[in-house]
Amino acid sequence: MNKSNVAFTTRRKITAIAVSFVAGAFGLTVVTTSTAQASSVTTIKLYNDKGAWDKYFTAVGNLAKKDIGVGVQPVGYTNEDTYDAIIDASFRTHSKPNVFTWHTGAQLQEIVSQKDVVSTSSIWREGIAKGDLTAGVEKYYTVGGRQYCVPLYVSYYVMYYNKNIFTKYHLSPPSTWSGLLQIAKTLKSHGVTPFYATDVLFSFLWFEQLLVGSNPTLYNNLEQGKASYLSPGVISVMKEWKTLIADGYFTNPAVTTAPQTLLKTGAVAMEPWGTWFTGNMKLVGAPPSSYGMFVIPPENTHLAKLPIIFETGPMCVPTGAPNMSADMSFLKWWTTPAPESYWASVTSDTGADPKAAAPSASIEAIDKYASSPKVQLINRYYEATPAPILNTALSEFGAFMVNPKGYMSDLKTIQAAAAQYWSSHSAS
Amino acid sequence: MQAEADRFELKAGGVRGPHLKSAGLSVPRSAHARRRLIRPFRASYRSKPQVTKPTATAGFIAPAVVVVVALMYLPFLYSVYISFTNYDGLGSPRWDGIANYVQLFHDPEMVDAIRNTAVWVVAGVVVPVALGLGLAILTYGIRHGGWYRLPFLLPYAMSGAGVAVIWGFILQPGGALGDVLKTLGLPGSGTAWLSYWPDSTIAMVIASAWQATGVNCLLFVVGLQAVPVAVLEAAEIDGARAFTKLWRVTLPLLRPMTIVVVGLAIVAALKTFDIVWVMTQGGPGYTSTTLATAMYSQTFVADSYGYGAAIAVLLTVVTGLASAVYLKQQVQVGGVKR
Amino acid sequence: MSRLGSAGLLRRAVLIVVGLVWLVPLYLLVVNAIRPSTAFTGTNEWTIPSSFGLFQNVSTAEQSSGLAGSLASTALYSIVSPGLAVVIGALVGFGVSVLQPRRPFFWFMVTFGGAVFPAQMLLVPLFVAYAQLNLYNTHQGLIIIYTALSVPLAALVLRNFFGGVPTHLFQAAQIDGASLWTTFWRIYIPVALSALVAVFILEFTFIWNDLLFGLTLASSNGVRPVMPALASLQSAYGGSTVPVVLAAGVVVSLPPVVVFLAAQRFFARGLALSQIAEL
Repeated sequence: MNKSNVAFTTRRKITAIAVSFVAGAFGLTVVTTSTAQASSVTTIKLYNDKGAWDKYFTAVGNLAKKDIGVGVQPVGYTNEDTYDAIIDASFRTHSKPNVFTWHTGAQLQEIVSQKDVVSTSSIWREGIAKGDLTAGVEKYYTVGGRQYCVPLYVSYYVMYYNKNIFTKYHLSPPSTWSGLLQIAKTLKSHGVTPFYATDVLFSFLWFEQLLVGSNPTLYNNLEQGKASYLSPGVISVMKEWKTLIADGYFTNPAVTTAPQTLLKTGAVAMEPWGTWFTGNMKLVGAPPSSYGMFVIPPENTHLAKLPIIFETGPMCVPTGAPNMSADMSFLKWWTTPAPESYWASVTSDTGADPKAAAPSASIEAIDKYASSPKVQLINRYYEATPAPILNTALSEFGAFMVNPKGYMSDLKTIQAAAAQYWSSHSAS
Repeated sequence: MQAEADRFELKAGGVRGPHLKSAGLSVPRSAHARRRLIRPFRASYRSKPQVTKPTATAGFIAPAVVVVVALMYLPFLYSVYISFTNYDGLGSPRWDGIANYVQLFHDPEMVDAIRNTAVWVVAGVVVPVALGLGLAILTYGIRHGGWYRLPFLLPYAMSGAGVAVIWGFILQPGGALGDVLKTLGLPGSGTAWLSYWPDSTIAMVIASAWQATGVNCLLFVVGLQAVPVAVLEAAEIDGARAFTKLWRVTLPLLRPMTIVVVGLAIVAALKTFDIVWVMTQGGPGYTSTTLATAMYSQTFVADSYGYGAAIAVLLTVVTGLASAVYLKQQVQVGGVKR
Repeated sequence: MSRLGSAGLLRRAVLIVVGLVWLVPLYLLVVNAIRPSTAFTGTNEWTIPSSFGLFQNVSTAEQSSGLAGSLASTALYSIVSPGLAVVIGALVGFGVSVLQPRRPFFWFMVTFGGAVFPAQMLLVPLFVAYAQLNLYNTHQGLIIIYTALSVPLAALVLRNFFGGVPTHLFQAAQIDGASLWTTFWRIYIPVALSALVAVFILEFTFIWNDLLFGLTLASSNGVRPVMPALASLQSAYGGSTVPVVLAAGVVVSLPPVVVFLAAQRFFARGLALSQIAEL
């Protein structure tokens, strides 16, 4: 019977292939594990949730190998939520990272209270004495009087703008909030969309910008559970946001085109972002002369100190990490000018070290502005807000942008989540 | 021999009472007595090797059971435990009793989640299965049928990242879909499809069907091969037209594969996560959230592991029941029904 | 059995039109993957680009994410795990629908039930368990989980497929004195070949495209499959441009496409169960 013979030979072939693959699989495993062991002597694993920065970490790692004999292997995740869960889980296992990136605010407090992270107070003392670290940033790395982790990066939130559009309509960066609104009005009258509305992940940006610009103390109280989302100050911010939307100043929040593309092509004139966004602009090939950034002037002109929103990512060593001395020496090395300059240049961003060279004049100007004593650093909403409240808030702000009339019910929902959280956690 | 084989009709559920009745015997009360009654049937096979040695059968079933239980049931049991606790991922879980389940019933987000999950199950099953079946029948047995099927199979092969970007192009206000509507002179070219319910869920169901239809088509094609050529030819000789052939011969014989396809579609629809999360994150507000995205956002974004686990348990129970009820349908082992 | 003529033409016309509609998103995918990286404006997605940037985009993707290194591991997982799962699924399908165990549906549901659990629910417990068992970041560890993920589908398809096979095949084998294993391996497996191949290629594609488990249960580039590397291209914090992401997506999707094409011949009419009826 021909058919069964064919079937028989085919079966034999399939069996042979299957067997060889299984054998190959285990062969490969043996090879891989043995090479992995051989190369892990002075290499530390840097877990991070900025997967797109893997190549930067590898480049800096080469520098570290030369300077202090510690190589870096980045383990990148792009989804922050899954990353956080895995790091949390890793504290209970013996597969801990050597170094991992984390978040300031409530999440830093949590891992400190669980004694899952190593203190870096001595690094900070030395760093501040040498001028490599500033007291303004130190505040956000301090829990219970001691410091933990070191800054991987420090970015400030500014307004990126399309220079070509501004030149075309004879506009220049505003120094007052009313000036900013005037620019928006002018642009709108010429048919140009002034502001980028952001997407769901960053739906808090305009909320925090408007609140920080009008009442930074209220903002800080809100983040610490000492104020309610239904306070008059917060309600008036939502009303103002609603007015700006009604005036047609924002892009449609459902647009999925990347913000850097929108700014480059002039589909929108201004976008508020952290200074790391310069890297994004470079990526889409925007000529440096075609865009710029300006500090967003606060709405409230009577504030004692000028507020600027900033975002800083800590780099930490977990308690009981493997190769502890190599890990700590890496953290310490990170706060010196050479790696800081290198990092700032590859990411085109501001940095934590005032002594490090800035990658460009505009970045340097912002660095200088932010470290002046007249300016107060405000922690970004994303880090400052506890996770359960953040989850609800992101969703409600997203809903608000689509339906601004519903702002009261959105605020009530966020407040309900906040009340539930703070009732079981003491307001700090 | 044939008559006895007829009486000893194998059904996937094993030999049960009704067969004894149709064989003209009365059903005894006690299980023991019933088993003794079955033995005479087995006795006729005494000259052949025993079919149902338990250890041999266990040897076939065990590898699958071991693998699945170890890697999936055990983590599930852990989740069940966590669903009774208050836990944020750090330190130790605190026992909380049924507080999370109580919260499930009072949470307005759950109403949206359950409503959308129901929409996904209905639309997410009917659309891709019907399309897949239609395509399989249309492309089966014609020359170059494989090539006609290819456009429907390719989407499944695409990686999730690329697919999400493409549907983002298509569905954004003024995106590709908007362009098409404008060219055709139809309204809605400026609509933000993903910003309002029910458009958002319907749009995502379509995006999901784009990938799922090909899979179903492939499985139905496999199933069509089980339709004996001889039976189809006999039907034609009897004067059956295409539609009658389809309705009365092909579809009933496709039943084993239809059960597979619909069963899989139900499970996939209930578990849908990637496409919703990437496109809308369950928003705006919670309007497009499903049980699966709610579970994810509560566990990983809000760090409420206990509550997220309770949602996961609910989702698992619903999916398990739905698939069990559907799959219990008996498969005729005899092949062609006489 | 196909007939040309008006019905046949209509059928083909319908298939071509529907097929073209289906291909529109793929057209967008390919056109924008070819577009040079900085030429994408967000509004020109339909236009055919004036220069061919696919290779440049792919090389940019490779530089940013080190895709190539993970292709070998991905191939390993996508071939071995579905292969094992298909055999295990056939074993249980055979055991449950051809042999006569007590409670066959129960054991079948236990196996298929694995498909019911949401993947995200499995992540953290598996991570902790893998870390404790030293399976974290190993090829074996990923092969095991991928096999487990693939078994339920295989069990479902094969349980129903074998259930549709006429019993006289089994009885004939028993009469000839064949052992259970021989009956299974030499008679039932060949009969189910098209179903086995269909399940294999579906699982191959599923495992090839897996992101979550590879991301969570492995940390080195040589162990992680290709999708986590691809995901790093898409990030608010710097990622890559749309053409680069799509180009990488297209190139990485080629193996499943090739597998689908190669397996098409298994679905040509001829390799059919119907032939058994003639024995």
